[in-house]
Amino acid sequence: MILSASGLVKTFPGVRALDGASLSLAAGSVHALLGENGAGKSTLVKILTGVYRPDGGTIELDGKPVHFTGPLDALRAGIGVVHQERNLVTEFSVAENIVLHHLPRRFGVVRRSRVRDEARRCLDLLDLDLDPDAPVSTLSVAQAQLVEIAKALSVDNRVLLLDEPTASLTGDEADRLYAIVRKLTGSGHAVVLVSHKLEEVFAVADTVTVLRDGRSVAEGQPLSAYTRDEVVDLMVGRAHAAVSLAARTPLSSDAAALSLTDVATSYGHADVSFDVAPGEIYGLYGLVGAGRTELAKALLGLGSVTAGTVSVHGTPVRISGVGEALRRHRIGYVTENRKEEGLFLEQPITRNIGVTVWHRLTRLGLIRDRAEASLVDDYRQRLGIRLATPKQLAGQLSGGNQQKVSLAKWLAADCGILIVDEPTVGIDVRTKAAFHELIAGLAGQGMAILLISSDLPEIVTLADRIGVMAGFRLRGELPNDGDYERMSQSIIRLIHTPLIPAAPH
Amino acid sequence: MTALLETPPEAPAARARSLPLWANPRLGLLVLLVVLVVLFTALRPSFLDVDFTLVPMQADISVYVVVGLAQLAVLSLGHMNMAVGRMAAMSAFAMGLAYQELGTPLVVDVLIGLAVGAGLGALAGLVISRTGVNSFVVTLALDFALVGLVSLLYAKATDGVSFGAQPGGMAALRTDTFADYCAGNVCGPPVPLIVPIAVVAALLVGLLFRWSRTGREILMTGASVKAAELSGIPVGRRVVQAHALSGLLSGLAGFLLAVNNGAFSAGIGDAFLLPSFLAPVLGGTLLVGGAVSVLGTFLGATITQVIYKGLNLLQFQVDQLKLYIGLVLIVALSLDRVRHVLAERRGARA
Ligand SMILES: Nc1ncnc2c1ncn2[C@@H]1O[C@H](COP(=O)(O)OP(=O)(O)OP(=O)(O)O)[C@@H](O)[C@H]1O
Ligand SMILES: [Mg+2]
Repeated sequence: MILSASGLVKTFPGVRALDGASLSLAAGSVHALLGENGAGKSTLVKILTGVYRPDGGTIELDGKPVHFTGPLDALRAGIGVVHQERNLVTEFSVAENIVLHHLPRRFGVVRRSRVRDEARRCLDLLDLDLDPDAPVSTLSVAQAQLVEIAKALSVDNRVLLLDEPTASLTGDEADRLYAIVRKLTGSGHAVVLVSHKLEEVFAVADTVTVLRDGRSVAEGQPLSAYTRDEVVDLMVGRAHAAVSLAARTPLSSDAAALSLTDVATSYGHADVSFDVAPGEIYGLYGLVGAGRTELAKALLGLGSVTAGTVSVHGTPVRISGVGEALRRHRIGYVTENRKEEGLFLEQPITRNIGVTVWHRLTRLGLIRDRAEASLVDDYRQRLGIRLATPKQLAGQLSGGNQQKVSLAKWLAADCGILIVDEPTVGIDVRTKAAFHELIAGLAGQGMAILLISSDLPEIVTLADRIGVMAGFRLRGELPNDGDYERMSQSIIRLIHTPLIPAAPH
Repeated sequence: MTALLETPPEAPAARARSLPLWANPRLGLLVLLVVLVVLFTALRPSFLDVDFTLVPMQADISVYVVVGLAQLAVLSLGHMNMAVGRMAAMSAFAMGLAYQELGTPLVVDVLIGLAVGAGLGALAGLVISRTGVNSFVVTLALDFALVGLVSLLYAKATDGVSFGAQPGGMAALRTDTFADYCAGNVCGPPVPLIVPIAVVAALLVGLLFRWSRTGREILMTGASVKAAELSGIPVGRRVVQAHALSGLLSGLAGFLLAVNNGAFSAGIGDAFLLPSFLAPVLGGTLLVGGAVSVLGTFLGATITQVIYKGLNLLQFQVDQLKLYIGLVLIVALSLDRVRHVLAERRGARA
């Protein structure tokens, strides 16, 4: 065993995140660390990398007990990590971030050209076409995630911990990462993989530890000993009922709720046309950098529409911001970037969810705390948000539970049109199914939903039609027949067909 | 409503506990206040003299509570208002001028002055939200411009220092306490008439930030502008409103000081800037925005005034006074920090 931990305990105010968790890691293997949202996976990763100190338990590296005094200490011991939450310095460039912990220096002066070369090498590993000099603040969430991975790969660590590394990536990018992971384990490295994407886990992992409520319920067994359902049962703690979505008949309606005609934007989109009917779920798929999030932002007035028309219920509109979208057009937008745009990390959960609906909860101009509390409780139950108290700060929730809070405020907002951008990033299997059911239910009640997702199975499960985007253009549109294999092949084909220049009119 | 998950994961509510009572920063301030009062009384029994100390001290506290609230209004956003003093001066000038030129009653004069204060604040807010320039820079520049304007205006409209005649009722506000008003032989407490003004202002500001949508949205904007914008909060409008409120409260503080001084004069607001930060920050309001404490501001202002009066009675020189107030504040702030860290640690062990 390269690295092993046993009996780890970690308590936060109000929560016991780890309650005797153990994990052992053999050289040359990929070890999956699974569990529901809030089970303690990230806490375990942070303890193994010196971010937190455990309240109890032992960690052994090569059979010798170790006590990390901080993240750098663990790094020096040869343990690399990609944390679930982004940790890049947004003011620094991509290159500087990648080599942050081992900046090439001579006489104390950073050597720029070496920094760039080194960064290039790491980016190339991932086949990543990014400008090393671009500031990280200009990257999309997925690009930032890839840079974070490149950063972890920049040092040759014996142990690599990956906490949901592919959460906002599409299959293509994930495949590239896993190819590298296999190469690493082939040369004797050990990798821990935390992920809610069980398909990926079963494809790459050799052994598995399942955490439930901070305890290890399966420890180090070969993954092949389990089926997918058995793993989920272990995570949940009992046999789980498979949820199947009820068939939905899209409301037939002439007037589209949201329609785009030949839209061009300040981000560089051109000729984008599609529409979403009330009761319909329109899926927008594309690889990282395809311009899906930017399109949503342009529609909402966070960027601008420079040509073409956007109509809401048949009326051409020009929206100037999310506030106007919400109050005038009843359009909601769930951002993909929960940490910076979706949540107020230093505010209580109640306010994070109440913020879109306060106008509905007032009496004599004052907000009724009771009404807010019952709203929060309602969504806590529906989405299974695991919290210590509703007054807890949102930033103290586990990643998946933060995502649920960021979703809840828009589900509560009572919109007619909902744009959801990567809604289930980091959400566990069971909640994901519940969320899918919830979204399908909303569509069933007549809501028009624009689903932006990098999760192809999710799109195929939910969408009625699928628009495929690449290079800021819509490459085509497919009716969804629900057959995953066939759909994914057609979609990949669409993405990779070269653009035929539009005939001049 | 149905729960879609068959059984929602149980929140470990039984294990959840909030921080211990002694970790509440407001309680710490209250204890500090009591200790100071006992200390000063022991050293100088005249500290509890009603006419000599208590009544004037209440009047001063009223002014500085409102001054603190004026700063708190923009600290909520993570902004600063470096022009509280000059906004107060401009408001006071408008009040004096309104009476001198229009002869309107006190209430009308005050409303006019408050409107001027709010207008100046709104102007600052508008510039900040439109240009995106840092609030510190914008209000500092505004302050600079207003310094000149105030002395110009006073030179034009008055003898250069203060207005000669004051509206009827100002004198009574200054000299009377509720003890002067009796029904039969039951008289009120020895509380100056301006105290309720400050108390009502504090209650309203508290209400605004705690329970009104506008106030909460201002706080959320302070917590994260980006997230606020993406949650549909009209960020620009909230910035303007918070600064307008700051200007209005500056004006009110200017009025209260004019009452205490007995005249609308050019020097009003000169000493407002430092206390405006001291009271809220001592009371636990964050400089980064997103959280305010009105009660803390009240306690902060009170403690500052108690220290000031106490050291004054002990015949400290003005410079020494400042030195000691500074020291006491540093100690108080670090104690607060220590207590917080201790509480977190203890909470984490539980
Ligand atoms: N800094 C913190 N302060 C308070 N509580 C915390 C903190 N970090 C984590 N927790 C709590 O500890 C528990 C475990 O969290 P952790 O982040 O380890 O979960 P996870 O298994 O990674 O979940 P997810 O799949 O959602 O990422 C959760 O209940 C969470 O609310
Ligand atoms: Mg996690």
